[in-house]
Amino acid sequence: MSSITKTKLKVRDVNVFYGEKQALKNVNIDIADGSVTSFIGPSGCGKSTFLRCLNRMNDTIDEARVTGSIIMDEEEINDRRLDPVVLRARVGMVFQKPNPFPKSIFDNVAYGPRIHGLASTREELEEIVENSLVKAGLWNEVSDRLDDPGTSLSGGQQQRLVIARAIAVNPEVILMDEPCSALDPIATARIEELIDELRENYCIIIVTHSMQQAARVSQQTAFFHLGELVEVGPTETIFTNPRDQRTQDYIMGRFG
Amino acid sequence: MSINAILALTLLVLIAGGFYVGRSRAMTASRGQIANLHSLPNYYGYFVATWTGLPAIIVLLMNAFFGQQLADRLTTAQLTSAARDMVSAYTVQLEDDASYQALLAAAAQQRSVADQLRSDINTLRRARGEARDPARLDMLRQDRLDRVNLLTATETSLENRRQQIASELLATADAETSDTARQSQAGFILATASASEAELFATDMRRIADGDLPSRDTPVLHSAAQLLVQTENGMMRILSVIVLALALGGFLMARQNVGSEFRARNNVEYLINTGLFLCSVIAILTTVGIVASLMFESVRFFSEVPLQEFLLGLQWSPQIAIRADQVGQSGAFGAVPLFAGTALITLIAMVVAIPIGLFAAIYLSEYAGPRFRQIAKPALEILAGIPTVVYGFFALLTVGPFIRGLFGALGFEDVVTQSALSAGLVMGVMIIPFISSLSDDVINSVPQSLRDGSYAMGATQSETIRQVVLPAALPGIVGAVLLAVSRAVGETMIVVMAAGQGANLTANPLEAVTTITVQIVMLLTGDQEFNSVKTLSAFALGLVLFIITLIMNIIALRVVQKYREKYD
Ligand SMILES: Nc1ncnc2c1ncn2[C@@H]1O[C@H](COP(=O)(O)OP(=O)(O)OP(=O)(O)O)[C@@H](O)[C@H]1O
Ligand SMILES: [Mg+2]
Repeated sequence: MSSITKTKLKVRDVNVFYGEKQALKNVNIDIADGSVTSFIGPSGCGKSTFLRCLNRMNDTIDEARVTGSIIMDEEEINDRRLDPVVLRARVGMVFQKPNPFPKSIFDNVAYGPRIHGLASTREELEEIVENSLVKAGLWNEVSDRLDDPGTSLSGGQQQRLVIARAIAVNPEVILMDEPCSALDPIATARIEELIDELRENYCIIIVTHSMQQAARVSQQTAFFHLGELVEVGPTETIFTNPRDQRTQDYIMGRFG
Repeated sequence: MSINAILALTLLVLIAGGFYVGRSRAMTASRGQIANLHSLPNYYGYFVATWTGLPAIIVLLMNAFFGQQLADRLTTAQLTSAARDMVSAYTVQLEDDASYQALLAAAAQQRSVADQLRSDINTLRRARGEARDPARLDMLRQDRLDRVNLLTATETSLENRRQQIASELLATADAETSDTARQSQAGFILATASASEAELFATDMRRIADGDLPSRDTPVLHSAAQLLVQTENGMMRILSVIVLALALGGFLMARQNVGSEFRARNNVEYLINTGLFLCSVIAILTTVGIVASLMFESVRFFSEVPLQEFLLGLQWSPQIAIRADQVGQSGAFGAVPLFAGTALITLIAMVVAIPIGLFAAIYLSEYAGPRFRQIAKPALEILAGIPTVVYGFFALLTVGPFIRGLFGALGFEDVVTQSALSAGLVMGVMIIPFISSLSDDVINSVPQSLRDGSYAMGATQSETIRQVVLPAALPGIVGAVLLAVSRAVGETMIVVMAAGQGANLTANPLEAVTTITVQIVMLLTGDQEFNSVKTLSAFALGLVLFIITLIMNIIALRVVQKYREKYD
């Protein structure tokens, strides 16, 4: 499968330092378009750090320093000259804890389109909001209460609202950092379903602590350990026939 | 050493002993193993010490609060009962005195006429339609006024006659110089003199007894004071016995309880609880008391000056009404100029403080580097620590002349040094740190996840602040602003010094205005009778001020609370 799709992100020799401390060491990975890639690994191994490299969110941390090359569609994105604000419109992000803004449901989804000027009329904006909510599988539940505050939704609904917010600016890549860790199994199942539907049009990267989730939703899996990318490959291979002993130990639940 | 000191020392020794005994008894009961006890040995010590000391201390405190009053009462009662014979002689004389009886009859008759007139007036006043007769009503009113004046005159003569007879009696009694005779004379004075005379007598008696300087010094007063001293000494002896008995009783009872099973820890806990509860009750009662006295005095004020005149009147000049009988006709108590002045100065202060304070807070919490923050935050706190009186003379000596010069140069005429503008500006500066530090807290407590969410959407920092951080912090900021407003409304010192005292009703910030607080100061610092309407009006103003601040604070706290709930 991965042989058919084209490579979206090409990461070469990426190192991340927080002050003196090195959080990522020499990471090399290719991430395919139109598929789901999952990052697994024990806590503190650098998964979130790596995810933040891909939309330059590490810029917001004063002491963080990123070296190496990250190429997205032939363009170097780890470059001071590139405007991170523009990049982040192309690389959306969903966080571990749902973080709707203190605004109405409508304004939450319309936030990105408004700041990036994606809609010139109110009708266009409404259309974008509706489409995004439909794609996020939330439209049926909120179509009659778009003016309610986003915070009034349940946790699972909030997480889907945040996904709708991310896809409203029509990004190319969606980064998800443990998007289901605060959700119950039913809400989790909905989000996983959603990820599967979104896969066709987006490049999705998801960090997860659940082996089952990685196996269910992703086509490619990368295993991180102590700041190193230990092993990456098709999800099936990683889970059934890992090359590295550390990967095998982690998957068997022997540490982590 | 005085009895008091001995008593206090004894009590202290008993308390310490109680602690020691409770502790060592518990140690004995533990048979060497503290784990055998329910509580740590010290708790048994605290328990016994508390029961030894607390009831006795309560009695001592009650004595401190009410002892003197009680002694005064007891002495007065003794004196008046000694004067029984004299008083009955006096009553007999009054009954036999023809002119006194005549005056009494005249007064009764005049009173009944006046009462009749009043009920007539009331009936006529309520009459509607045909029965209405304004002319007759006026006439009746005039008539009643005359009657009442007549009655007052008669009552004054009655009182004079009474005093005359009393002083004749006293003059004959003055020949007897024994202590008992003097004491009965004292009782006679207390029983028959006018209320203020009697009060003065009692005060002088108390002063002589305490060794202070009295306003008068007569042999009668001295005998009375001697009796007071005796009474106090007797009370002191009884008090000592009660205190020691309570201490010993509490000690014995508590010691009896100490045993390995006894839950001293829980008991001490309970005592501490009760103590804390009492402290909070005191705080609440004080508040209630202050508010109640405000209300009470205000009601008295409003019985003299109608509420609508106070709230809607445009003229404030209480200065003329100095004597109580001048009230109403001469002083004007329309508080609108004060409300307007307060509002104007508060508005100017807010126009200065809100933008500067808020933007400073945004800069400090969102943009400033750690090093700048380290300097700027304490600097702002120092600004908050400057006494308001310093701001006051800053306004008066620097800002006021500057404004006068500036606007004078711009061609404005008659610009004064003391203006609403200078007071408002300086007050605004005073409030800046208040707003900025509260807003800074609020902005900092907006979760980082919201900012990250916005950055991840491709928003810039200022977009994030404008569209996510500030809306999230808004309720808290509103709360901060309301608290700041209620501070500005209640601020006195700056305004007293910088805004002048003229009660002008104006919207021109270059004129002198006055505020509610300033007027309260002016009304109460003068040298005048406490019961005059002028002083009472200060309470009404205080009540208005209290209500305004209360409403502001309630809204502010509500808003802030609501905001807290959302992110916790
Ligand atoms: N802002 C920061 N400042 C300093 N060190 C950081 C910062 N963020 C992360 N680190 C460090 O970088 C390392 C990797 O952290 P990261 O958050 O990427 O781990 P993770 O794999 O996402 O862990 P988890 O599964 O618990 O989320 C950790 O050792 C962490 O302490
Ligand atoms: Mg993480």
